Amino acid sequence: MARKMIRVLLVEDEEIHRVMARAAVKAAAGTEDDVLDLAENGAAAVRRVREVAPYDLILMDRQMPVMDGHEATRRIRAMGVTTPIVAVSSDGLPADVEAFIGAGADYFTPKPLSKEKLGNILAKFGLT
Amino acid sequence: MAAALTNQLHALVNNMFATGLLDDQFQQLQMLQDSSAPDFVSEVVTLFCDDGERIIGELARQLDKPNVDFDRVDSFAHQLKGSSASVGAQQVKNTCIQFREFCQQRSRDGCLKTLDLVRTEFYDLRNKFQVMLQVLPNVLKIHLTLSIEFH
Repeated sequence: MARKMIRVLLVEDEEIHRVMARAAVKAAAGTEDDVLDLAENGAAAVRRVREVAPYDLILMDRQMPVMDGHEATRRIRAMGVTTPIVAVSSDGLPADVEAFIGAGADYFTPKPLSKEKLGNILAKFGLT
Repeated sequence: MAAALTNQLHALVNNMFATGLLDDQFQQLQMLQDSSAPDFVSEVVTLFCDDGERIIGELARQLDKPNVDFDRVDSFAHQLKGSSASVGAQQVKNTCIQFREFCQQRSRDGCLKTLDLVRTEFYDLRNKFQVMLQVLPNVLKIHLTLSIEFH
């Protein structure tokens, strides 16, 4: 039976990480049908979550202009959105991870994203 | 000629791994390249090279100010660390980690010394990447031609 299409929101301001994430999502998900939306900062992410059809997964960077990942996560949770939010950051110190989880993220994975990491994330949240 | 070019490319990349310039992440990058994204490695490496040059310029400008904003310097070092990690630029990434420690210590001298080091390492790596990107299309073209001839 074919897996249903999934909608992923990638919140990331730097092009190199967007390119990496796009390739990792495509490799892990194994289909061209899945939708990968992009938001260039936390404020844009909050707007997209509010305005677009529900996402199945949100990949959230930490350090971004306008609004960072911690604040965006807090605001998305305050809207009552229960979509899994996975923090993706180059900073993997315990304090950074705790801050993200405390803001409402469900999981943390260090950059860079890979096919294997995305595969594990999709499996973890039942999206495979 | 095909073998010579392929050998040249392999020798270059192997040397970059052996000398610690690159780590396993570069292999992960290569695994993400396929027929639907034949220029993926080239695209990511080019982004790294462009970002690195811009960030190093910014770091020099920030550290030249009479009152250094170490949080801003740290932010740029964090960016360079992240993009280095993405392409497997192990040496540059590790130097960025040191850089950030000097930012935490608010040490201009430490930051300046580390900036010199990261600049040298980055440009060495960039030069090697540029050779790789020049050779790679020719290798791919030759392999493609050979595979067509044998089918």
